Amino acid sequence: MERPVFQPVGTPVEELDTPALVVDLEVMSQNIETLHSYFRQAEAKIRPHVSCHQCPNIARLQMAAGGTAGGIAVTTVGEAEVFSNAGFDDILVANEVVTPPKIRRLCALARLNRITVAVDNPQNVAVLSKIAGDAQVTLNVLVDIDAGFGCCGVAPTGDARELARAVHSSPGLDFQGLMSYEGPLLYQNRSELEDETRRRLQLVLDTRQLIEAEGIAVSTVSVGSTSNYDIAGQMSGITEIQAGSYPLMDHNYCRYKTEFTPAAKILASVVSHSVEARAVVDSGHKTTGPDLGVPFLEGVAGATATRFSAEHGILELEPEAFTRLKSNEKVWLVPFDLALCVNQYDYIRAVRRGKLEGFWPVAARGRWD
Amino acid sequence: MNQWYRPQVGTPIAELDTPCLILDMDALDHNMGIMADFYEGKSSKLRGHGKNHKSPALAHRQIRRGGTVGGVCAAKVSEAEVMVQSGIPNVLVTSEIVAPLKINRLCSLAQQAQILVACEDSNNAEMLSQAAIAQGVNLGVVIEQETGLVRCGVQSIDQGVALAKTIHSLPGLTFRGVMSHQMMAEPSSNREDRVTEGRRIIQDVIDLKDAITAAGIPVEIVSTGETWSYDVAGEIPGVTEIQGGTYLLMETSYDYMSEFQFAGKVLTTIISVPRPGVAVGDAGLKAVGAMKGMPAVDGQPGVVAESMDANHVVFRLDDGVRLNLGDQVTLIPGQQDAMVSRWDRFVGLRDGKVEAVWDIEARGCHN
Repeated sequence: MERPVFQPVGTPVEELDTPALVVDLEVMSQNIETLHSYFRQAEAKIRPHVSCHQCPNIARLQMAAGGTAGGIAVTTVGEAEVFSNAGFDDILVANEVVTPPKIRRLCALARLNRITVAVDNPQNVAVLSKIAGDAQVTLNVLVDIDAGFGCCGVAPTGDARELARAVHSSPGLDFQGLMSYEGPLLYQNRSELEDETRRRLQLVLDTRQLIEAEGIAVSTVSVGSTSNYDIAGQMSGITEIQAGSYPLMDHNYCRYKTEFTPAAKILASVVSHSVEARAVVDSGHKTTGPDLGVPFLEGVAGATATRFSAEHGILELEPEAFTRLKSNEKVWLVPFDLALCVNQYDYIRAVRRGKLEGFWPVAARGRWD
Repeated sequence: MNQWYRPQVGTPIAELDTPCLILDMDALDHNMGIMADFYEGKSSKLRGHGKNHKSPALAHRQIRRGGTVGGVCAAKVSEAEVMVQSGIPNVLVTSEIVAPLKINRLCSLAQQAQILVACEDSNNAEMLSQAAIAQGVNLGVVIEQETGLVRCGVQSIDQGVALAKTIHSLPGLTFRGVMSHQMMAEPSSNREDRVTEGRRIIQDVIDLKDAITAAGIPVEIVSTGETWSYDVAGEIPGVTEIQGGTYLLMETSYDYMSEFQFAGKVLTTIISVPRPGVAVGDAGLKAVGAMKGMPAVDGQPGVVAESMDANHVVFRLDDGVRLNLGDQVTLIPGQQDAMVSRWDRFVGLRDGKVEAVWDIEARGCHN
């Protein structure tokens, strides 16, 4: 695992050993306040999706900010185990869990916590029911609807209603309602985002009506993301929003969601500047997670991050930037995609007003299981 | 960090929890055998790159199998620490180390093992020298030359000779030689193309070696080459070692090196079959990565990995191909080292059963 130099609390941020994943706690708190203040007033509530940051300390701050549904969302059973161990007792595994060993782990968690899981297949419902029954626990279940993202989920309306019926009649399972992930809806134009969000979520709300017409209660409709939280949050019948990017943000999301500011950045050092038009920093694929896009170099006039290899980042420089970016000079990179960046680190360097406040474990890192 | 999942030796593949980073042990042994056979009796030897597997267990196996210099490369100081602590006696750190904190760690390592470090700059050489003196150690230094990668390294023969003179004169340092790392502009399975391209690029570092020798400074080490040029660099007179890494586990972007077999793969389980012709597996960008495109599907014709999100891979299925919930699908990554660097252990399989479980101890060693 990561073997950082555990420098003392109070160390100035620019003296941290690099590459380092640094979170500005004040910026993060402001982001959390921006979103949670909305949900403190709204009928719908926020269920923080913690797979983006994998860090229990951050999740605790989210829960303390109010306006929540009382729990968190994760993607894997392994993540649920980590957050259960960290004291979170209402966990939605917003994903399908199909193999018996994993379902048994889920049931073990359900002895200690309120556990909810997504389903999109009747066979899976039967296996969940059997194993929950054997374990003498109740699993809460949401039917996962594909509202246009094209990954997991049943088709809205008819198929979803059949599946809801199956869950409703299965011992050991408690049908709670519906969930969907509409995909990363990123639009510059607010009215386009509104139209697309409403169009997709209407499919979920129509399904809700169909199921209720069967006399089956729908207490939870869990949808949305950081991109459309304040649109989905206004739609009657939506009960909770699964947003995850907003505390830390990333370069991709920040271009569309200007009410939030990037709080997680990579501190890197110049390790080579052998020609005038170029500097090389000690952060590449393995420390930025650029699968969806390259990081953005912040705050150096005349310098642009253009290429990354496994261990290095290459900056192209105007003359004024070359003078500034001497050997071992620090630069900030804003990751393009937060989840893929955090995935590379075991510790977040938590920083307040330019000074190190602590090393926060990214406790669920690598728990894809 | 995933400290929980460690399957028992003997577990059949069908019972493995997923996603799981698996090693095909036959393929691994085959790949090591190719290198051991090639370098047997040659004056050049392999120095396996530890950044690719980050696992001391694999490094030791590589060295025992033969054909190597008896040591490894590491990209980072913390990676070198893991290798030295596991008993690897000789590590070349292939990156320039400029931060005082890291230089101190490097010198500390030099008390326990033979350490070589790359250098491109005379100020950096002076810093290395001062730290080595302060800690009472000697650091071996190799000059990195840029040979077309447009990244780090000295830019000209003159610059290289001047730096060699500086390093040679500095106390606490021993000038050991030169290194370079290169990419093939257009990967080709045609050996003639590889030979031509490899010889052309590697000639630069031979020229630098000759110039430094002519200046009266002995050059013991010429460390260059990589998987694509292992058999080219290994036959160029003057080259003493080859920095091969990808050959061990392989990746689809090196499929033109057909003598090597795919050994490092990710086992996934189908968790959703939402529509006809589509199935979803439980490994995505976090576990596999996509820097060099979508992974290939191993041994299942008609199943194609079409897209990935953070935790899912969406497979497109040809007509007539069906996958069910719980079925396993094996992925071969497009890029191997950036994938391994996300995992905590390898699960080695032979004849469909777990033979070994090896920690990737240097995973996350970024510093």
